Amino acid sequence: MARPPLPEEELVARFGPHRNDAPPDGWQHHGPIDREVRTHCCFCGQQCGILLKVAGDRVVGFEPRYDFPFNRGKLCPKGVKRYLQDNHPDRLLDPLVRTPAGFEPVSWDEALGRTVRELRRIQAEHGPDAVAVLGGASLTTEKSYLLGKLARLALGTRHIDYNGRLCMVSAGVGYKKAFGVDRAPNPWSDIPHADVVFVIGANIADCAPITTSYIWRARDRGARLIVADPRVTPIARTADLFLGLRPGTDSALLSAMLHHLIARDLVDHDFVAAHTEGFEAAAEAVAPQSPSWAAAITGVPAARIEEAAEAWAAPDTGMLLHARGLEHQSKGVVNVSAAINLALACGRIGRRGCGPNMITGQGNGQGGREHGQKCDQLPGGRDLADPRHRAEVAAVWGCDPDELPAPGHSAYEILEAIERGEIRGLLSICFNPVVSLPDTARTRAALERLEHFTVIDFFLSETARHADVVLAGSLHEEDEGVVTTAEGRVVKINAAVPPPGNARRDTEILIELGRRLGAERYFPYTSNREVFEELRRASAGGVADYAGITWERLEAEDGVFWPCPHEDHPGTPRLFEDLRFPTPSGRARFVPTPWRPPAEQTDEEFPIWFTTGRVVSQYLSGEQTRRIGQLVDQYPEPLCEVHPRLAEFLGVVDGDLVRVTSRRGSIELPARVTATIRPDTVFVPYHWGGRKAANQLTNPALDPESRIPEFKVCAVRLERVAGRAT
Amino acid sequence: MSDDAVFVIDHSRCIGCRACVQACEECGTHRGRSMIHLDEVDAGPLGSRQTAPTVCMHCTDPTCAEVCPADAIKQNEDGVVQSALKPRCIACSNCVLACPFGVPKVVGEIDLMMKCDLCLDRTSAGSKPMCASVCPSDALWYGTPEEFAATRVGTLGDVFAFGDQAVTTRVKVVLGEEPGPLDVLSGRAPASWLDDPFALGEAS
Amino acid sequence: MAVTAQPEPRPAPAGRPWLAGLDRRGVLVGGGLVVLLLVLVYVGSEGLRWFDAALAGYLVGTLLAVFGTAYRYVVWVERPPTRALRARGWQAFWGSGRRLRNLARLPDVLWTRLVGQGFIRSRSLSRWIAHQCVFWGCVLAALVTFPLTFGWLHFESVGQDDARYRAFVAGLGTVEFESRSVAGWLMFHALDVAAVLVLVGVFTFLVRRLRDPGALAVERSGDFLVLAGLFAVSVTGLMLTVSSLWMDGRFYTFLTNVHAATVILGLLYIPFGKLFHIFQRPGTVGLAYTKERWAHEEAATCRGCGEPYAPATQVDDLRRVLPELGFDYRIDPARGGGDHLGFCPRCRRALVARAQSLRVGGFG
Repeated sequence: MARPPLPEEELVARFGPHRNDAPPDGWQHHGPIDREVRTHCCFCGQQCGILLKVAGDRVVGFEPRYDFPFNRGKLCPKGVKRYLQDNHPDRLLDPLVRTPAGFEPVSWDEALGRTVRELRRIQAEHGPDAVAVLGGASLTTEKSYLLGKLARLALGTRHIDYNGRLCMVSAGVGYKKAFGVDRAPNPWSDIPHADVVFVIGANIADCAPITTSYIWRARDRGARLIVADPRVTPIARTADLFLGLRPGTDSALLSAMLHHLIARDLVDHDFVAAHTEGFEAAAEAVAPQSPSWAAAITGVPAARIEEAAEAWAAPDTGMLLHARGLEHQSKGVVNVSAAINLALACGRIGRRGCGPNMITGQGNGQGGREHGQKCDQLPGGRDLADPRHRAEVAAVWGCDPDELPAPGHSAYEILEAIERGEIRGLLSICFNPVVSLPDTARTRAALERLEHFTVIDFFLSETARHADVVLAGSLHEEDEGVVTTAEGRVVKINAAVPPPGNARRDTEILIELGRRLGAERYFPYTSNREVFEELRRASAGGVADYAGITWERLEAEDGVFWPCPHEDHPGTPRLFEDLRFPTPSGRARFVPTPWRPPAEQTDEEFPIWFTTGRVVSQYLSGEQTRRIGQLVDQYPEPLCEVHPRLAEFLGVVDGDLVRVTSRRGSIELPARVTATIRPDTVFVPYHWGGRKAANQLTNPALDPESRIPEFKVCAVRLERVAGRAT
Repeated sequence: MSDDAVFVIDHSRCIGCRACVQACEECGTHRGRSMIHLDEVDAGPLGSRQTAPTVCMHCTDPTCAEVCPADAIKQNEDGVVQSALKPRCIACSNCVLACPFGVPKVVGEIDLMMKCDLCLDRTSAGSKPMCASVCPSDALWYGTPEEFAATRVGTLGDVFAFGDQAVTTRVKVVLGEEPGPLDVLSGRAPASWLDDPFALGEAS
Repeated sequence: MAVTAQPEPRPAPAGRPWLAGLDRRGVLVGGGLVVLLLVLVYVGSEGLRWFDAALAGYLVGTLLAVFGTAYRYVVWVERPPTRALRARGWQAFWGSGRRLRNLARLPDVLWTRLVGQGFIRSRSLSRWIAHQCVFWGCVLAALVTFPLTFGWLHFESVGQDDARYRAFVAGLGTVEFESRSVAGWLMFHALDVAAVLVLVGVFTFLVRRLRDPGALAVERSGDFLVLAGLFAVSVTGLMLTVSSLWMDGRFYTFLTNVHAATVILGLLYIPFGKLFHIFQRPGTVGLAYTKERWAHEEAATCRGCGEPYAPATQVDDLRRVLPELGFDYRIDPARGGGDHLGFCPRCRRALVARAQSLRVGGFG
């Protein structure tokens, strides 16, 4: 039973999170620098260029990369303090096994042997699918690729999925439906050329800070800015138009805008006729969704919706940027389709400064979802259920297509299968479900049912506390490979230092596991480069085609945008310039967006909407950023944003403790009274675990297509509790 | 960086991310201590959470230096007003209370006034100040006036009216199309959606 | 005691004889101290009996340094802000009915503020060690050099065997010691000990400076000049000992002259450069008492946020000092009156930010 061996306090005392506040040897130390390593920040999908300064095989500082075109020296606070995740007191230096007394260091042979033995035993007793693999989108693309291969060919299980399931899948499904490709259509350098920028469900300042400068560059050219969000986010403060919608009502807002465009005949009929299909069905779906109807649903006055629609449609160019606010819903895909429909109706695709674009969240949120760690996917963005795709990949891997298992469960469904006892063994890397999945209590209970649980990690995360075996892996700066940024730009990650102590590179661990599981012939690699070269071949001809990309090109050209089918191909910064789409008809598709309310509604018992999100100083489940002192100080613990009206009604003042309760759990935290949030909504950032986890409250209702949980909308009640925040 | 590079602030663009604060701590002249102020400004109808960064404006005739009883604050040949000379500063806080921009800090445990010195370690070596380099919103910006004119809108101002006192600075602020001194006591913001972002005053 | 607002004597306009630009009080005090020192030298050396003519150069250097330092000190201490704070210091120390308690605490304040230098230690240990080395080295050297130069100190042998000596201070016999004892060695080599201490400090400072890009960037030529000067004085002094002990006195005269030159140049530099802080720093003692007093006094509250932000006395002092320095931060009565000093630093920053944002269209 995968239960933490010691009380939480003892595990925290031993393994952290502790703070690292200063470079090795302190702020006053000024030793010589051995080398500066060109690489990228690990803390979001923008992948800002950064130089890590290394002395004595330790990262001791950084410098922004002024030469990297995406960020040109810009960094957010996470990027600035990123180097303090190195030389960290919590760093795992040995493989660990769980004993009743805690976690004990063991040899690699013993740790790997035990993992392999246990997973094989479970599979022998309960079938191959009784073991599942969970990956993550902060891994390099090579690791994601290896993990998919490991699951399918070494373990032979159907069940592999990744934490991008909590991130990009709604956008992925939406874009595949509309365009046949799951990638942001535009390079970010297009944003400054937009005459109108429409940001919906994207807290740019906190989640994609560097994008702020792109929006300002557009505005310096005279662009209008429209922002739709339940909160007046920092980027919204300066917007020309703000649509303060209720959580979970995005598709109503967007559909009403399309309704208005049709009503005012602001649709680009020539474009729609020449390059799209499905407009009539989409128009039919929005016919009942008028602005005045939507005003009641969204809380945004009809006049503002109409004004926004006209502001969006009027100019020649425009970009629509969206992120998890839109996508973390049980109708995430519908929301995304509604956004894409708005762009298509105005002919905004395939041109400079035109396009709907998702803002990918995780470090390798794009690359990590392309090459086979998704439950239904094979390298090159191929479809695991498509016989032709299976044959193509099998040819590269040298296996029989029938050896490849069928598509398996998505991430949350894996958890549900563990709960039901169908999955009994789990291998996890780069995933911290105890913090990041909705309904924390249920997640923990499920993990405790596992017969065997191996985690590869560099710190002992909240999830790794449940593990039987913890394999000490590598940080971003300790392994080499590629990642793909939010723009679709493949960039090179360079190793700055070797893993400390007995920790090993993730890549080595995965290869060694593959071999020990008896799949030596599928894991013949002697270097990371060999993995990438095989990945190139495996992706060739797929949608996400890396065939023409080499590590050398990535360094020389500041990254290459896929698809890049051969080495003479310049890469594809902007998709669909020829207005041919990789859909069966070659046309872009409108997708109907009928209204569907959130899975959970407010009622007398739970009268307030609850939504979650990020703060700029923390990254995802906080596994790394909660260990960097300066980032901790910036926002030490979750706060509950409450509008002054609601606060007054509850008798709460800023700093009072409030209890927020949903149907699944409750959390006590200090109130932050601010007029920047809707009065009927409260917001809590999700980066913390245990009793501070926002996900104790969130609703695991899944989108039927993307299987993403509804993190952004549920119903809660709020009450003041005695005491003040300390 | 060319010699005529200027430091430019546009407070209104601040997104409160504190990248500048974190970056300032990395500056060689005061490693481990951040000199930037990032304040929540109770501005506008929302009355909360708007943030604004403040670095030293490097006055041409610095009030802080004049009121220093220890003669500890000096300008270098480029007009950069430097942090207090360590042997002289007695941490009396006169500069803190006299600076019209509210810039200097007195660090108690080391009995020393410290403030932004325009990243002398970096600017003297040809790179941008750390804060202006990293700022994701270009609220803090460093470059030549020509670069500014080519990429940004607005004019640059370097004269401030504090009551009857006009102060000229080396660091510039972005003004609208109308040039002229920045009167720090100027009036209220015009009406906008910010007065009622969630349309509480309208039947929706 | 009220601070009288007297206009600062402005520097002489160009075209007038440079002497007219001199501060009269500075000249008087400097000149007075020079005369006083000459008298003390005459008396202390028993009518020049013990005055060593070979050290006359040192005496001249010292007299010039005394004049220059005193002159600069007077000019400095009469600057409006300095004068105001000085007055507060005396008021807190002597005028408050806490004289006895203040006096009783004085040794502790002197120790922590001036000798222990804990504020340097808080910055960095190596910096503190370096400064302590230089500090004690210079103190020791001054305690030996000046009395010798002034003829206040001399040694006489006791008995016939040159083994015992007695030290005389101002003609009065004091300790007697064996020349070959540890005490004797230290007595005769006090300046060598001082030189070694200074060198250790100088090198520590130098290593810190050269390795720290930040320190290098804010480097002023004066910082290195001081280190170089201290180095030159110490090394040439040590060379004298080396020459007499191991080189049979070769180059001794030459070295004597070089050493004298470095010391005299160093003395002349005191009023002008970084070393002047030796005379400014004691102001921190008065400030310690002042801050203590202010802590019990009324605080000024910000006209913007209403929060207390500073001792009201200090803000009022600045209100008097600023016009003397040519600043006018008053606000027109029609716009609320008072002055900009009435805002706390945070509100001042907010005012600038708000005004700027309004000019570009405002923020939320």
